[in-house]
Amino acid sequence: MSSLTLDHVTKIYDDDGEDVVAVDDVSLEIRDGEFLVLVGPSGCGKSTTLRMVAGLESVTSGEIRLGETAIDDRKPQDRNIAMVFQSYALYPHMTVRENMRFGLEESTDLGDDGIDDRVEDSAGLLGITELLERRPEELSGGQQQRVALGRAIVRDPEVFLMDEPLSNLDAKLRSQMRTELQRLQEDLDVTTMYVTHDQTEAMTMGDRIAILDGGRLQQVGTPLECYHEPANQFVAGFIGEPSMNFFPVERDGDVLRGDGFDYPLPPEVVDRIAAGAGDDLTLSVRPEAIAVADGPGERRFETTVDVVEPMGDENNVYLQFPGIDGTFVAVVDGYERVERGDTVTVEFPADRIHLFDRATGEAVLDRSLTRETAETETGRTI
Amino acid sequence: MLRLIRSLVERARRERQQGGHRQDGEDRVRTDGGTVDPAVGSRSRGERAAATVRTATEGEFLRSAVFWLPPLLLTGLFVYGAIGWNVVISLTDWNGLGDPEYASFDVEMYARMLSDATFLAAARNTVALLVAFTVVTLLLGLFLAILVDRGIRFEGVFRTVYLLPMSLSFVVTAIFWAWVYNFENGLLNELFRAVGANFLVQGWISDPQFKLAAVVFALVWQFSGYAMVVYLAGLQSIPTDQFEAARVDGAGTVKLYLRVIIPQLRASTTSAAVVLMVFALKAFDFLFVLFGTNLGKSVDILAVMMYREAFGSGNWAYGSAIATVLFLMALSVIGPYLYYQYRRGDL
Amino acid sequence: MSTDTDADPETTSAATSRQGDGARTGGGIDLKRVSLYAVVAVMAAFYLAPLWTGLVTAFKTQDAFFGTTPLAPALPGTEGFTVRPWLEAWAALLPGIVNSLWFTVPAAVLSALLGSLAAYGLTNVDWRGQVALLVPFVAGVFIPYQSVLVPLTQFWNWFPLPVGGLAELAITHVAYGVPICTVLFRGYYLTLDEEMLEAARLDGASIYRIYLRIVLPLSKPMFAVALIYQFTNIWNDLLFALVLAPPNAPPVTIALNQFKGSMVNQYNLQMAGAFIAALPTLIIYVLFGEQFARGVAGET
Repeated sequence: MSSLTLDHVTKIYDDDGEDVVAVDDVSLEIRDGEFLVLVGPSGCGKSTTLRMVAGLESVTSGEIRLGETAIDDRKPQDRNIAMVFQSYALYPHMTVRENMRFGLEESTDLGDDGIDDRVEDSAGLLGITELLERRPEELSGGQQQRVALGRAIVRDPEVFLMDEPLSNLDAKLRSQMRTELQRLQEDLDVTTMYVTHDQTEAMTMGDRIAILDGGRLQQVGTPLECYHEPANQFVAGFIGEPSMNFFPVERDGDVLRGDGFDYPLPPEVVDRIAAGAGDDLTLSVRPEAIAVADGPGERRFETTVDVVEPMGDENNVYLQFPGIDGTFVAVVDGYERVERGDTVTVEFPADRIHLFDRATGEAVLDRSLTRETAETETGRTI
Repeated sequence: MLRLIRSLVERARRERQQGGHRQDGEDRVRTDGGTVDPAVGSRSRGERAAATVRTATEGEFLRSAVFWLPPLLLTGLFVYGAIGWNVVISLTDWNGLGDPEYASFDVEMYARMLSDATFLAAARNTVALLVAFTVVTLLLGLFLAILVDRGIRFEGVFRTVYLLPMSLSFVVTAIFWAWVYNFENGLLNELFRAVGANFLVQGWISDPQFKLAAVVFALVWQFSGYAMVVYLAGLQSIPTDQFEAARVDGAGTVKLYLRVIIPQLRASTTSAAVVLMVFALKAFDFLFVLFGTNLGKSVDILAVMMYREAFGSGNWAYGSAIATVLFLMALSVIGPYLYYQYRRGDL
Repeated sequence: MSTDTDADPETTSAATSRQGDGARTGGGIDLKRVSLYAVVAVMAAFYLAPLWTGLVTAFKTQDAFFGTTPLAPALPGTEGFTVRPWLEAWAALLPGIVNSLWFTVPAAVLSALLGSLAAYGLTNVDWRGQVALLVPFVAGVFIPYQSVLVPLTQFWNWFPLPVGGLAELAITHVAYGVPICTVLFRGYYLTLDEEMLEAARLDGASIYRIYLRIVLPLSKPMFAVALIYQFTNIWNDLLFALVLAPPNAPPVTIALNQFKGSMVNQYNLQMAGAFIAALPTLIIYVLFGEQFARGVAGET
């Protein structure tokens, strides 16, 4: 096994004589055995990046290394990489067994028995032994998905590449496969690069996630780093569901003046604001950080309830400052009875706010983060 | 489960250590087939990247050539080479026995056409055949397609029957139609006699007045099934929603087709029309079997005249010149069509 | 470019909802449907009539077909019935049928194979300039044979094949069949899952192996279409045969034309001959009408 390194990788397409930069100077290291999720909105260059690693797209500049060896000038078949495709891409005229044998027949010198052993082991691993003699058309979507995985696993590659492998499954099967895939990857301990547009998949599956937008790498970090300490406003908005609230504000000394509210900053927060930060800022607070307060106070605001989305254990409540058009969202406990038109006082806790430079989008203040708060909030250790 | 995984991993590890074609551990040297250019590592990143892109596309180009080059050479030589050669021959004075003299070239053959009454008549007939045949075939084909698409029972059987003539050789259909058109005992005249329409009893393929129309009618019979197939594909690609929506809007059946459906069949009409027009230009077999090469001024067409001049009279250069005119006519039909297809991204 | 006329459930249900105004009331007779079926049947009669009159005529004696209406069959056992025209036509045309088989089958197979290869190289192997190379193939579908006849005879005069004129005819047909076959296969290959071919590349297969192990096996239905279409086309051709076929080995179309010429006014013989010459394509058409329709539609 080995690590996978992308070193200043750029991809420029020629679109009718016009250069289109699909991937812009991306540097990234995926450690040996690590599960890295590449996430971003559609068209952000994540699939192109994956395809460059696979060798299905050429690299315009930069280098891709497996361990210490550059592989970007190798043909796909010589990279020792296996890929799971969104459409599963099974060979429809072959049985499951033949599908899984194909790669071994084409890329190794293994004898018939050796190939059969490997196929049967992998099939057992995935619980598809009884499907081996069937053809893809006789399989359900979930079964096809497993076969696609099996076809990758059986080759025992140094790197797994997965291109939105779960996006064709229904919601229930998807969450089930999510856990299963994770467990499988941990067991096999193969370096994995996983592309998705779904931030939930990114958060739950990745050892680390890399967020791409417009071909540029925005942030690489553990899911919780990206969640709690987003490097910029894009990451802050992309990670987390419902999305983070953003309020344009002017900094006036220790007070942030927004549209319809003033937000005083306590001194310990002012101290943490990055040196040299400008005054045009974006005040940001996650919906789940907004607390319903029982009475007026500092950093507490009176708001009107616009829409309530009951989610069962929680409610997504869309709130409005009086006389202001836009809404923002807060996640409140499911037992809390709120209805459209109610007046609710909410607090933006000072230790939970983020500030971003409005011009560059860069973070100038992260929420304060202690081990305790992170653990109690997510139930996970970081 | 876990034991299995371990055994799998274990085995993989063993193989990696033993296997000749696989590398072990960290020291990775490529030994699996491909070759590594030792200069590659020493070049700068930019150069290397450019080289990678180039070798990648060149490699694909060369490797894919194995697939398309032999067919391309064959078609290039026999189709496009021959067309070019034909143009060259049309510029010589070659006739009779012996080989052409590629010494002096002129456009004498083309000048000759303009004063050749036979050529002018054949050209006129060709255009008349092309227009009449194409229009009637399209209309009948559209009619058949709508009929078959109306959810009738045994749709497949009727479709098969309508397309059946298309599977027959022109030699065969010409023989059938010669019998149908027979003056004394033919089906057509017998039918007219049976219903008392004696004025319609005619010498369909002997009277110069009717010859061309008779040929067009028979060719329409043979080709309307083709137009039906094209239209049927177009019709079936129109979502059922549109039929239902129009019905909800209260449109009658005729209005539905005229206003909603037929306008959407433009692409089918275009492609079918191109195929039919090009066929009309090269129609030879049917007329040759029915009339031989001397078919008379009323039904003579360029495709047959070319054969008569070249292979009947040995006027090779003149025949080639007529063939070139036919080619240009075909080109004027398919050129715009291919461009249209290219613009729509259908190529 | 190729058009699929398969009756999948989608179109079937579509057809059901297209049943005119669909107002079929209980057990009553819907006049509109009745007239629809009447028109459908009349049209069927129109397409079958020339074949029917040919068929009944082929079973009649000379006296009978001059004396009876051309639609009425002569029943076996009656005076006007005879199978002699069939026997005579069969004897006259058999050598032509054998000659035609000799060059039609290899030419159909070869043109389908080359078309498949060209379509794969120009569709599924990724490189620039594919479309530019595609144009000569697509345009080649439409070239009138007349514009190459004279040079072709010259060419084969200069480079005659030692194995004889039928081989020359076969090669010419292959050259003219490759374009349509390429178009047919390309239409099919464009629908192949690109990710599947990429998966095969990652699985270590070269583009040759991918063709052999993935694309070729998946092309079976298209080979049926291309082979049927090419067989019918080449079998039915007269013009190339007239110019290129050796006089001592005429293909069936020439043999039939000569037979017609020598049997003036013997329509029973002519009709039997026409059916015998058409028999291979008729059988194929009846068995594989769907594939033939797809081939025919593929020109567009």
